[in-house]
Amino acid sequence: MKPAPFQYVVPESLEEVMDILGQHGAEAKVLAGGQSLMPLLNMRLARPAVLVDINRLPGLDQIAVEDTAVEIPCLVRQRAAERSPIVAEELPLLREALRHVAHPQIRNRGTICGSIAHADPAAELALVLVALEGEVVAVGRGGERRIPANAFFRGIFTTALEADEVIRSVRIPRRRFSGQAFREFSPRAGDFALVAVAVALDVDPQGRVQTARVAVAAGSDVPARLTEVEARLQGAQAGAEAVKAAAAQAREAVQAGSDAHASEAYRRHLTEVLTEEALLAAMATTGGNVA
Amino acid sequence: MAQAPRFTGQRIRRVEDPRFLTGRGRYLADLEPLGTLAVAFLRSPHAHARIRRLDVTPALQVSGVAAVVTGADLTEANIYCAGLGGQPYPPLAVDEVLYVGHPLVAVVARSRAQAEDAIDAVVVEYEPLPAVVDPVEALAEGAPRVFSQAESNLCFHLEHTPEGLDALFAEAACVVRGTFRHQRQTAVPMETRGILAQYEPVSSRLQVYASSQWGHGLRDGLAKALGLPQSKVQVTLPDVGGGFGAKYGVYPEDVVVAWLALKLGRPVKWVSDRLEAMVSDFHARDSIHIAEGAFAKDGTFLAIRDHMISPAGAYLLDGSAAVLETVIASLVLPGPYKVQAVGFRIDGALTNTTPLGTYRGVWGPAATWVQESLMERAASELGLDRVQMRLHNMVRKEEFPYASCTGVVYDPGSYQESLQTAMEAIDYPGFLKRQREARAQGRYLGLGIAAFVEPTSLGAWQPEPPTVPYESAVVRMEPGGEVVVQVSVNSHGQGHETTIAQLVADALSVDIGKVTVRFGDTAAAPYGGGTFGSRSITVGGGAALEAAGRLRDKILAIGAHLLEAAPEDVELRDGTVAVKGVPARSLSLAEIGRVAHWVPAKMPSGMEMGLEASSRYVPPPITFSNGCHAAEVEVDPKTGRVRIQRYVVVEDCGVMVNPTIVEGQIIGGVAQGVGAAFLEELGYGEDGQPWATTLMDYHLPSVTDVPRVECLHLETPSAVPGGMKGMGESAMVASPAALVLAVEDALSPLGVRFERMPLTPERVWQAMTATRS
Amino acid sequence: MSTEQLKTEAERPVAFTVNGQAWRGWVEVRRTLADVLREEVGLLGTHVGCEHGVCGACTVLVNGQAVRSCLMLAVQADGCEILTVEGLSESTERLHPLQESFWDHHALQCGFCTPGVLLSAYALLQENPQPTLEDIHEWLSGNVCRCTGYQNIVEAISDAASRLSAEKGGR
Ligand SMILES: Cc1cc2nc3c(=O)[nH]c(=O)nc-3n(C[C@H](O)[C@H](O)[C@H](O)COP(=O)(O)OP(=O)(O)OC[C@H]3O[C@@H](n4cnc5c(N)ncnc54)[C@H](O)[C@@H]3O)c2cc1C
Ligand code: FES
Ligand code: FES
Repeated sequence: MKPAPFQYVVPESLEEVMDILGQHGAEAKVLAGGQSLMPLLNMRLARPAVLVDINRLPGLDQIAVEDTAVEIPCLVRQRAAERSPIVAEELPLLREALRHVAHPQIRNRGTICGSIAHADPAAELALVLVALEGEVVAVGRGGERRIPANAFFRGIFTTALEADEVIRSVRIPRRRFSGQAFREFSPRAGDFALVAVAVALDVDPQGRVQTARVAVAAGSDVPARLTEVEARLQGAQAGAEAVKAAAAQAREAVQAGSDAHASEAYRRHLTEVLTEEALLAAMATTGGNVA
Repeated sequence: MAQAPRFTGQRIRRVEDPRFLTGRGRYLADLEPLGTLAVAFLRSPHAHARIRRLDVTPALQVSGVAAVVTGADLTEANIYCAGLGGQPYPPLAVDEVLYVGHPLVAVVARSRAQAEDAIDAVVVEYEPLPAVVDPVEALAEGAPRVFSQAESNLCFHLEHTPEGLDALFAEAACVVRGTFRHQRQTAVPMETRGILAQYEPVSSRLQVYASSQWGHGLRDGLAKALGLPQSKVQVTLPDVGGGFGAKYGVYPEDVVVAWLALKLGRPVKWVSDRLEAMVSDFHARDSIHIAEGAFAKDGTFLAIRDHMISPAGAYLLDGSAAVLETVIASLVLPGPYKVQAVGFRIDGALTNTTPLGTYRGVWGPAATWVQESLMERAASELGLDRVQMRLHNMVRKEEFPYASCTGVVYDPGSYQESLQTAMEAIDYPGFLKRQREARAQGRYLGLGIAAFVEPTSLGAWQPEPPTVPYESAVVRMEPGGEVVVQVSVNSHGQGHETTIAQLVADALSVDIGKVTVRFGDTAAAPYGGGTFGSRSITVGGGAALEAAGRLRDKILAIGAHLLEAAPEDVELRDGTVAVKGVPARSLSLAEIGRVAHWVPAKMPSGMEMGLEASSRYVPPPITFSNGCHAAEVEVDPKTGRVRIQRYVVVEDCGVMVNPTIVEGQIIGGVAQGVGAAFLEELGYGEDGQPWATTLMDYHLPSVTDVPRVECLHLETPSAVPGGMKGMGESAMVASPAALVLAVEDALSPLGVRFERMPLTPERVWQAMTATRS
Repeated sequence: MSTEQLKTEAERPVAFTVNGQAWRGWVEVRRTLADVLREEVGLLGTHVGCEHGVCGACTVLVNGQAVRSCLMLAVQADGCEILTVEGLSESTERLHPLQESFWDHHALQCGFCTPGVLLSAYALLQENPQPTLEDIHEWLSGNVCRCTGYQNIVEAISDAASRLSAEKGGR
């Protein structure tokens, strides 16, 4: 279990990264935290000819708050985000989700952007990005593009990123919800989710749901918003009844096939259970009156 | 013994720990003589395929490569795995690959990375053949055969129907039945297997270092496989990072590496990586029991019938699970209960999977599950209290030694007492109340009970036992008065450097700091059966105690002679030989040592010089430990997830040398039981592809999965010197049953019964929904 | 050699500090930090149990953070400060309170997982000197031990935390 040979480059600027990627295309791989890529290299399941270590790029490891969005550049470690006061203040859902990602020892090196780029359908961070309508800032030789989360994930381990592109950062809108919650079911603590659900809500003073975001990971090939569920919740009176109905609908929206970890039926069931729990928890934090 | 024991029975901190705590333990991977070459294996990606073409020449071009060998190279040199019954077992596949992970080419290179580079360069063309994975399917008419020239896949069959069995079933007031399928697992010691071999051609000596549980066995196996005299092979065991049965025996990789060392004249080393470990370490368990129990109206357990079907994998190993798990189960299926007859049938099947061998508690988890389930089911059918019914059937104190209908004899134990103690500890009446209250709130609380016996410390358990029936020890005192103990058992975490030192220090009345315990080198350690089957402290410790006793007698004789006293008037006391009641008349052990080693004139006449004694201790055929586990769980009705709320273990392993170490074995064993009951599964697809090939997919219990274990002890001394009984496996044996039955109890309003482990949340949920609808 | 060339070589020069001592050497770029610590630096206390990030046996501290040394290339550690189990105590005679506590609580059997567990525990206590049971569980969930069933490890870590804070308070 030793990596196959590769060329190792340590670019000092994003331009250099793009050059190298442009030159080598799919033969090159970006190495960020290495917490997904290194196992693949060790197992020789990934055999890039060129490994582009971005860890020494300057100025990309600080979370920044802008007017409308929080920007998380590509060298922000998951654990740094988890402990960041900005994230605690602005992105409580992300913070909650981070606790479910692997273990502290992995989060110490794993990056937020690396997890997004890896696009594991069961990954918590991709789910949060989708739920919060974040975007991926990709830079390539063609310049910079901002790809909305729901267009970024294309399939299992597949994204909209071009071979010469690197994720410079992810941006998540600064938008306060009156309540949010993250719920996950995994075989053991720190494992990838069998199903995870992220919910963010606005509830008006009359207790009516104004906006609802409901997203599921591991329910299909990509983390997905459940738009019909959201639509049903919209305008509904927050409370057990609406939640039950929404959860039942969420169950139907899930299309994951069966695999060694879970059957489709169980995933659907878990989606219902977790959606219900997450919605109730989110409503409980809204402070609004939940019937 | 002259003095009350100072160390035996005490919670002494382990002698070996400082080296592990400071990173100074030395395991196999840490050894690297100058010029060592690394080995990597090419392994089959197919469950069954013909090797149409195999071209290793590109691999020879890879930088750093010293040699590439194939199965044909080995068979041409007449090298086979040693000691296997049945079909010949070439260490590398020839013509056909028989399971995913089957090694077919070995590369030797300067570094492991280069060896893997060369593996990548080997060209193989496979022609896939039909594969069979499930033992029942493998035994069916027309099933694909693992060995095409064989008539069928049946590789082991044994059956026995005792007289009167059918009558007992016919007359029974209640017959309960069940199918119990224990999933396939593997032991997963955290240190993977590994071997380093060095050949010295002039004296034709093969030096081997290995991560193994049994140095002598590996030596004998390699000598046989390579055609070398046993005296020319030396096996040295460094620190071993866990074994649990997976490192007991001779693996094909061992034979290949040793042969390569011979062939190349250079040190050759292979350390298994985790990917290969998952498909090449013995797999374990994977048995099906189709069992029924006959009970009288008053709950008396009358008889058991059990049809066991077990896969062997692609080769029937010496220690095959298909044989050992089932045959031992047939002997101890009644557990702590008196049963009048046990009938069984065992069918072992070759299958296109990794061969199955041993894992901690061979026989036990499945058999205890069967035994306790039959008891539970009968209790509920007869409307009897399950605790009372168990007590009613257990062998009573006054009935020992008890000859079981299966032919084994139980030595004294505390069966009823341990069940009662466990029930008190877990507050059985209080639990029933809690359970009722919880049910009223729609919560599912359950209590699982597993009373067990553990057959330990095998001696001459058959007329010609398949295992070495004794262990040995040599105890010597150096001229300076320090004591060195050489034992044939070795440790891979069990703490023998401490426990055996405790025993010997007391036997010789010296400080434990004066005693050094050594093991693991066939050139120095006396012959023995190695560490398996919960025998180290009983058989190995028993030998050490016997040898120490002999040495003590000699020391006393020399001391008495020097003190001009009668031998019966002197005693050992705090590192001296003293005249009883006259402490001033004493000699230090150093003085005795000096005389014994240097001054023949002062020795008693006719006595041999030196201070050394040895023992080869043959224990009784089987020494039975016993005890009871009680688990309280809560099942989440929404997800099927089980939370273990409380876990109580009552263990009777006779005299405890070091209760802390005993508890360590229990707690660790329960954790592995949690793995069996809820988490671990080596599944295969119908195509023979294994599902769990990494530790991401094979779910070992982590800290959040295991309960806090409350340990309670009873002590019924055994007939072994020191009164100890083995106990390394009991917790693994009893805990899956306790946990599974706890879940069934929790779900009893739904009438759920489980046929297969592990009880993953999904399976629990499925069982609940199936009965609800 | 120009830096441009250097950047694409199969081997690169690496310098780091490990347990307070400077180390430098040429290292094949594909080798993991775990392998280089073991095979080049000679610190065999860092163990390799899975090479895919699950078992935690290879855990070391890099710049004060507990990480998997099997999931880091050695060349990435250039310029870093590394702590391995060998650096935990001043000497093999004077153990660190964590090591003492592990010894007292029988928190190890075969010892193979122990170095990684100790370093995870060390990092936890650095960050959080008075961890709750839940904190300990969160950190320890990243280390697999097949022998002990964890109970004694958890107790040893709690106890070490008390000992360390008592030591601090006492000073
Ligand atoms: C034991 C273990 C348990 C884990 N459990 C979980 C879990 O429960 N949930 C979970 O979500 N994850 C889990 N992970 C994965 C972990 O979260 C990874 O950190 C994360 O998936 C990848 O981030 P990274 O920075 O380490 O990326 P790397 O491993 O360096 O890279 C991953 C992939 O993304 C690409 N990439 C990385 N950064 C960029 C970039 N800026 N631009 C373009 N491409 C890029 C790489 O080329 C590579 O293909 C686990 C990992 C381990 C080892
Ligand atoms: S060896 Fe690094 S985590 Fe297992
Ligand atoms: S002590 Fe053996 S793996 Fe932890």
